Amino acid sequence: MLRYLAKRLISMIPVVIAITIIIFALVKAMPGDPAAMMINPALKAEQREAAYKAMREKLGLDKSMPVQYVKWLASTAQGDLGWSSMNNRPVKDVIVEPLRNTLVLNVFVTICQIAVILPVGITMAVKRGSLFDKFWQVFSLVGYSMPSFFIGMSLIFIFALKLQFLPPGGMPLSAFGKDFAYYLSWLKYMILPMLSLTIISIAGSLRYVRNAMIDSLSQDYIRTARSKGLSEKVVIYSHAFRNALIPISTIIIMSVFAMLSGSAITEQVFAWKGIGHTLVLALNNRDYMLVISLNLLSTMLAITANIIADVTYGIVDPRIKLE
Amino acid sequence: MEKKTMHKPTNPTESTGVKLGKSFGSMFKRLFVREPNNLSVLEEEALQTPTQTIIKNFIRTRLGIVGVIAFILILLFSFVGSQLRPINPSYQEPAMSNVRPGTNYLKYPDTIVKEGVKNIASGISFSVALTNEGNVYVWGKQPVYRSAMSTSIFKLPADFPQGKIAQIAAGDRFWSALSEDGQFYSYGYNNFDQAELPQIVQMKRKTTPIKEIMAGDAVSGILFEDGEIYIWGSTLATRQDIVPLDYQGRIVHAEVSPHNVVVLLDDGTIGVFGLDGNEISAVPTQLTDGSIKIVDFTTSGRAAIALDSSGNIHPWGSIMHGVLDVPAYEGKIVDLIGGKNNFGLLLDSGEIVYWGANHFNQMDMPKEMASTKYVAAYSDFFQSYAVSESGDVTAWGHKGFAFGSDQFGRDNLTRLIHGGRISLTVGAIAMIISVIIALFIGLISGYFGGWVDNILMRITDVVISIPFMPLAITLSTIVTGRVPEMYRIYMIMIILGFLNWPGLARLVRAHLLLEREKDFVLAARALGVKQSNIMVRHILPNIFNLVIVNVTLGYANALLMESALSFLGFGVAPPTPSWGNMLDSAQSSSVIEYYWWRWVIPGLAVVFAALSVNLIGDALRDAMDPKASEK
Repeated sequence: MLRYLAKRLISMIPVVIAITIIIFALVKAMPGDPAAMMINPALKAEQREAAYKAMREKLGLDKSMPVQYVKWLASTAQGDLGWSSMNNRPVKDVIVEPLRNTLVLNVFVTICQIAVILPVGITMAVKRGSLFDKFWQVFSLVGYSMPSFFIGMSLIFIFALKLQFLPPGGMPLSAFGKDFAYYLSWLKYMILPMLSLTIISIAGSLRYVRNAMIDSLSQDYIRTARSKGLSEKVVIYSHAFRNALIPISTIIIMSVFAMLSGSAITEQVFAWKGIGHTLVLALNNRDYMLVISLNLLSTMLAITANIIADVTYGIVDPRIKLE
Repeated sequence: MEKKTMHKPTNPTESTGVKLGKSFGSMFKRLFVREPNNLSVLEEEALQTPTQTIIKNFIRTRLGIVGVIAFILILLFSFVGSQLRPINPSYQEPAMSNVRPGTNYLKYPDTIVKEGVKNIASGISFSVALTNEGNVYVWGKQPVYRSAMSTSIFKLPADFPQGKIAQIAAGDRFWSALSEDGQFYSYGYNNFDQAELPQIVQMKRKTTPIKEIMAGDAVSGILFEDGEIYIWGSTLATRQDIVPLDYQGRIVHAEVSPHNVVVLLDDGTIGVFGLDGNEISAVPTQLTDGSIKIVDFTTSGRAAIALDSSGNIHPWGSIMHGVLDVPAYEGKIVDLIGGKNNFGLLLDSGEIVYWGANHFNQMDMPKEMASTKYVAAYSDFFQSYAVSESGDVTAWGHKGFAFGSDQFGRDNLTRLIHGGRISLTVGAIAMIISVIIALFIGLISGYFGGWVDNILMRITDVVISIPFMPLAITLSTIVTGRVPEMYRIYMIMIILGFLNWPGLARLVRAHLLLEREKDFVLAARALGVKQSNIMVRHILPNIFNLVIVNVTLGYANALLMESALSFLGFGVAPPTPSWGNMLDSAQSSSVIEYYWWRWVIPGLAVVFAALSVNLIGDALRDAMDPKASEK
């Protein structure tokens, strides 16, 4: 298992390097000249020329691109992500909270998603063609044809504005200390974005769970298990489901991955201060160092999700360890 | 693997069928007309090419056909509709903002004809009529959401004195009435207390009779018989409430324009107060120095026309919409009428001369008007009414917005049609770009294998590892900042296309590798077919099905991506409409709650388009993979 994981990690290295190059290219492509922005605007023209040169030297902008890249990579690896002009604080301090918010939201959504798609998907496969099956098929077809912001806005309209159960968006203030009531209200604010993302991810993954189960149920070993006289429950859960786990875990990991990307819109709709929301804010405020760091962060999260996927394969499929 | 060449038909009638199969007519015939066959079951099976099987299977799936029909309707709506309904994306009419859906602005009740029209006044989305019997009738659409601040314009309270109304006036989103005994009533928008009489007016009313009431944009006014005027409501920015002292007591007639009040003084001169320095406040000196005696005037949104005692017209104000270009007319002027961007004259011959803008069909007068004699005409905002000698009412102008209007008063339906054209095109081109890249990379990777495959697949890994949305909005900001506004839309297509290919590229490569190992390739190789020919003629057709299905499903995805990107404000730039950016302005909870048409309608348009494409894609997949339909 460890050797397998190590192998996967090593194979990730070129991908990670390529991604850092792309992100570095983004840094370089950002509008505005950092050296020109750092010098004192009150300087006279000839003084400014000299100050500009000195600043370029100081920031290392006069070096060749590969040298700049290596320097940037080194400082990024050490946690120096630059200065956020929007917050007037170092980027690494600014991104902690959005990162936590996005992770908390996505973890809850993943739990809810698994709690729904496994029982529903299995029942759909077992009762193929039933009304239950058809209902969820229509649900997932309509669900994945819907833009996520439309689902979010509809939820706000129904639950926050018409029924007035829940807040339409935003996040609780922590000014009064972090007691039990604070966490409770946190949960209250999280329900709608969570529901919105859960609907999207269920709609996207349900049919794959169903198809994986159907494939698994039509295998010969299921017939064998039935002919042995095993109860239907055992056949479904310990024979069919166990074998459908590999495609199912792929789907779940893929949808977590899609969520990291798609939650930007849901966070924007519900003003949930996660990575996506902060990114839109940073782009609108031209806080480019923050933009770069958030891109780097979401990419690293995605790569981590990939590695977790690999570990999961190793757990659910004993054959993989042998490779 | 069934190949066309493998099943040469033996029956002569069938072979002509295959030849004709290349023509569209025959294909159509094959699709819908069952050809008489005198073949056995087995032969019939063998004669179907894979494409025929797919089409046959596809037609059998009901949902797929529903998807095709729905998608064709959406295409017609967007592409034919945009030709029929031209758009001027930058035209705004702030007065008409956030009007709810409805096309009944001009549908007046017949009772007003029976009782005889005394006056008709219109707001942005409704009209009020006062009949000769003193009754008031209201039709059209409620202009604002009903809240604690505003009341329904239709449901009159029980104590409203129907039958005893002397005067009416309509502002933009409210209307007022004055009863015979001097009571003031007002319904609709009341956020600036324009529906309540101020203390000073209530005091003065006890001693002085009211001459006329006025209503403007959230502004009310009362002119007393002694020539004093009082204006109240939303006057903080325009200062219409500050009446110059030398006007008070000399006013015989007044009209409220959006930023000013124009008054006719007792010496036949014109006075203007309110916001200083705009077009309407620059009155020509000959109208103010007493050299010409004015008897009547009327205002439009930003201009005015005055009639002097010798029957001449004097226009002034903004030259916009050509409202100052009085057309040639013959005869004596009986009355002046003024809409928002239009003016009109009622002549003693019974003819109505009308000119100005035509953004809301204000100029589309019914044909029978040329031959009818009119005795009265009323025009306000974008609706006009004329009363003929026989008492009939002719209405023309703005019928209403079928799908409501947005925050700038633009027609949602027109924007939906043109937005659909943009969204469907952006999605299609983005998808074509990504398919070309995916095919190129997937085929090269699968065909050459080795280090080429390795490098290309690592590139695919890199692109697939970066979350789409954050990278897309970042790239959109970088790229669109460097190109002119008009090229931004192409950049969006390219960004969407360049970020969406890896999934399909992997799939193409995987299937290529799979097909390469199949027996028919081995057979072809054994027969000495060239490697490139094997690739193009034997392997590619087998991947083609897969590509078609994924292109269809990818198109639905591209539509959703474009709308999401535009929704966040990083896609198609306004004022060019797209389904996504129509929703961009609808992100506040007040818009979601009160102006539902601004987000539900474009949102549903995206859902319908994506759903119909997904239905087609699913049906195609089932048609191509017989195993899938068993599931």
